[in-house]
Amino acid sequence: MNNLILEVNDVAVAFGGVKAVNGATMSVEVGSVTSVIGPNGAGKTTLFNLISGAIKPDSGTILFQGFEIQKLLPHKIADRGIVRTFQGAKVIKRLSVLENLMLGAQNNPGDNLINFFNPRARNAFEKQARERAMALLKQVGIERFANDYAGILSGGQRKLLDLARALMAEPVMLLLDEPFAGVNPTLVEKLLEVLHALRTEHHLTFLLVEHDLETVMNISDRVVVMAEGRVIADGLPNSIYENQAVVDAYLGTRKLNS
Amino acid sequence: MTAILQPGFWVFILTMSGIYGIFTLGLQVQYGVGGILNFGHVGMMALSSYTMAILVIAHGFNFWIAAASGVAVAALGGAFLGLTTLRLRGDYFSIVSIAFSEIVRYVIFNSDGLTGGSQGSLAIMPIGDAYPSYTDTWDTILYWIRDHLTPIFGEVADRDMAMGILVWITLGILLFIVSRVERTSWARVLRATREDDDVPSALGKNVFRFRLQAVIIGSIIGGIAGIYWALQVTLLSPDDFLTIVTFYAWMILILSGATKVKGLAIAAIFFGFLYGGTRFFTFWPFSVFDASQRSYMRIMIIGIVLIVLMIRRPQGIFGKREEMVLE
Repeated sequence: MNNLILEVNDVAVAFGGVKAVNGATMSVEVGSVTSVIGPNGAGKTTLFNLISGAIKPDSGTILFQGFEIQKLLPHKIADRGIVRTFQGAKVIKRLSVLENLMLGAQNNPGDNLINFFNPRARNAFEKQARERAMALLKQVGIERFANDYAGILSGGQRKLLDLARALMAEPVMLLLDEPFAGVNPTLVEKLLEVLHALRTEHHLTFLLVEHDLETVMNISDRVVVMAEGRVIADGLPNSIYENQAVVDAYLGTRKLNS
Repeated sequence: MTAILQPGFWVFILTMSGIYGIFTLGLQVQYGVGGILNFGHVGMMALSSYTMAILVIAHGFNFWIAAASGVAVAALGGAFLGLTTLRLRGDYFSIVSIAFSEIVRYVIFNSDGLTGGSQGSLAIMPIGDAYPSYTDTWDTILYWIRDHLTPIFGEVADRDMAMGILVWITLGILLFIVSRVERTSWARVLRATREDDDVPSALGKNVFRFRLQAVIIGSIIGGIAGIYWALQVTLLSPDDFLTIVTFYAWMILILSGATKVKGLAIAAIFFGFLYGGTRFFTFWPFSVFDASQRSYMRIMIIGIVLIVLMIRRPQGIFGKREEMVLE
């Protein structure tokens, strides 16, 4: 089966005595929206950090487009096309909103000091990137803040900026860490609209982390449920509702003899 | 009070301000753009000036080749400091950087055969009988400039004035180049790393590479300041490179508002006048103290001015207040 873009095989990592991820195996199909859900402490964010390279696994492999990436540094993984957003959205507060987006531009000749002496190449790229950045800001609806410090944005606007910045990097696969947490219903609609457009127009692959099934039910092709560092269920959103292991993980197991 | 009226004194103050300005510009790249707290900057100045002096005096090198080698050694010093310690988090890097500059100074102090040790560059073993000064080539230029200044300034035109002009031309050129560099996307990535490593690296930027480059560029500029320092003082001594020199540069950087390059020259002059000018506070109430006590008061006055400035204008003279209040 070669339409798998990401394969996580038996990955484990421990922080001291805590096995945050303990033999997780899952995969993501090309062009799909896959959601990882689970209660607090299930290892979802750790799994995310493993995929994006922020943490190195103790064992197991992670394959992206057939290449092992578990030993690569985060910026090398980003170069391969996996771009992430952050839980609660991280913005660079003392850069303008537009400058935040410009950070996402890939292969910018201006990032290389040698090209200080090649202003023509730098400026041409910069101009093109700025146009693309403005278009993205318009798409997520925060273009009126383009020249303000990102630090003045509200929480919801920061989420939109975080998403737009990730898109600026033209990812192959987008990792979204709790994109809907703490976001008002109107903004959720907006985010869903943007995601839907991206999916149909750009054939992006999405991997989401969320707390509960409800939020991701309608947009996910597949749902992976984690609990205590393991994948306990994996299937179509509807089938997850009926899975006994999932119900136990969320509500707790009833111990008859206690 | 007579010295304060001498033009030569003010030329001296301006020249020293200019050299400190160049020196501080190196820190500006590192801290103002990249948020890297380097407290060992003076080490780069020591490396370049001593390398230049040793190559000329003990090995008979051409001055220009020696000066270029001095700056190159400062760059290598920056690369060494960066490669070994930049992976440490902010404050820890600062601590190691102080140690770095102190190690450089102690090595110079104790390597009598190579550097002249505590006796300074005068004790470097010369190649022949004639003692070659490393300032010879430079002096030829200075006297040439002086000869062209005399018709304009008359008696006032001298070697020092020519030196001051060259220092400020250099500072002007470097300020121009750095302000251009700070407009590139390279500087934008570096400014992002000032706040956060995760975002730039998640976007494919090798944060370590950007930081290392900033440290090396800052060291090169510090190395250029070292060459000028050597030419100005004409005799090097390990005491020229005490840690306090780095902190003088930090004062200038804070005065100017660290994130903006444009205030740097003015802050350097301001510092130069505070530092040099306060030695003429011989009137009451300062006349109550004797000369040696007054020399300490000078540093105290600088401290008080800085504290008042920090309270009234924490962003520096030219910094942007908005940048400090963002959460």
